[in-house]
Amino acid sequence: MSSLLTPALAARIGEEVSYTAPEPLGRAAIRYFALATGDTDPAHLAGDVAPPTLICETNQYAGLPRDADGYAGHGWHLIVPGTRLVRGGNSYRFLHPAGPDTVITAKWRLDDIAERVTGSGKRMLVVTSIAEYTDQERRLLAVNEETLIYVSA
Amino acid sequence: MYQREWTIDQPDMIAYAGATWDWHKLHYDADYLAERGLRKPVVDGQVFGAYLAIALREWFPSSSISELSFRFKNLVFAGETIRCVGSVTASSDEIVELDLRVEVVADGRTAVAPASATLRLP
Repeated sequence: MSSLLTPALAARIGEEVSYTAPEPLGRAAIRYFALATGDTDPAHLAGDVAPPTLICETNQYAGLPRDADGYAGHGWHLIVPGTRLVRGGNSYRFLHPAGPDTVITAKWRLDDIAERVTGSGKRMLVVTSIAEYTDQERRLLAVNEETLIYVSA
Repeated sequence: MYQREWTIDQPDMIAYAGATWDWHKLHYDADYLAERGLRKPVVDGQVFGAYLAIALREWFPSSSISELSFRFKNLVFAGETIRCVGSVTASSDEIVELDLRVEVVADGRTAVAPASATLRLP
């Protein structure tokens, strides 16, 4: 049985890509996110302070084209034949809140790809990415460790 | 034990998709879903982070979130009501630590767990 973690995939560990928003986050974007989530914080609803997880939603400043699934956000586009992709989870650290004048840069790093076996004996690849979000002063706002899992079909 | 519920209807999902620029067909396209054996639009997993953040602020209004971690267990579908549940595992004058989970109210299945947060107190 061949490994899911091919040399070609392993060679991609350590890749980095950065996306910088073309404009400040903006009061409307903050208010929209707050309304969409049923937020009750007056500072969020007024657009004065961004809800913490908003800046970790990077599609709006990735500036990438929509793919066949309709998705227009960051991805590593790993090819893992015979698997299906599921989300693992996220681990956020929040250091400073963003506001309407913040220009966010997201720097993604493909931190690790590890082969594991599920409890039911299926092989899987656990892909760990780390995103750092900074403002126009290069101040670190948040860190997001994201796990995606490619499970054998 | 702290609890907070949300009913996630299709308009909520559309609003979240717009607010996050996430136009993935899993969240709205009936044909796309049927081809994959899914009965209803799938709720964006990242929204549970937003819901947990809101719940934490409501439970501890003067706090700020320094860490929030969660793992996805099961899909949640349009129209379902979810419950965020939190319990304090440690606290001091400066921080509060909580275990969290998100469950679907109708059948009790776990949407998100394990999950945890660390809050800073003023």
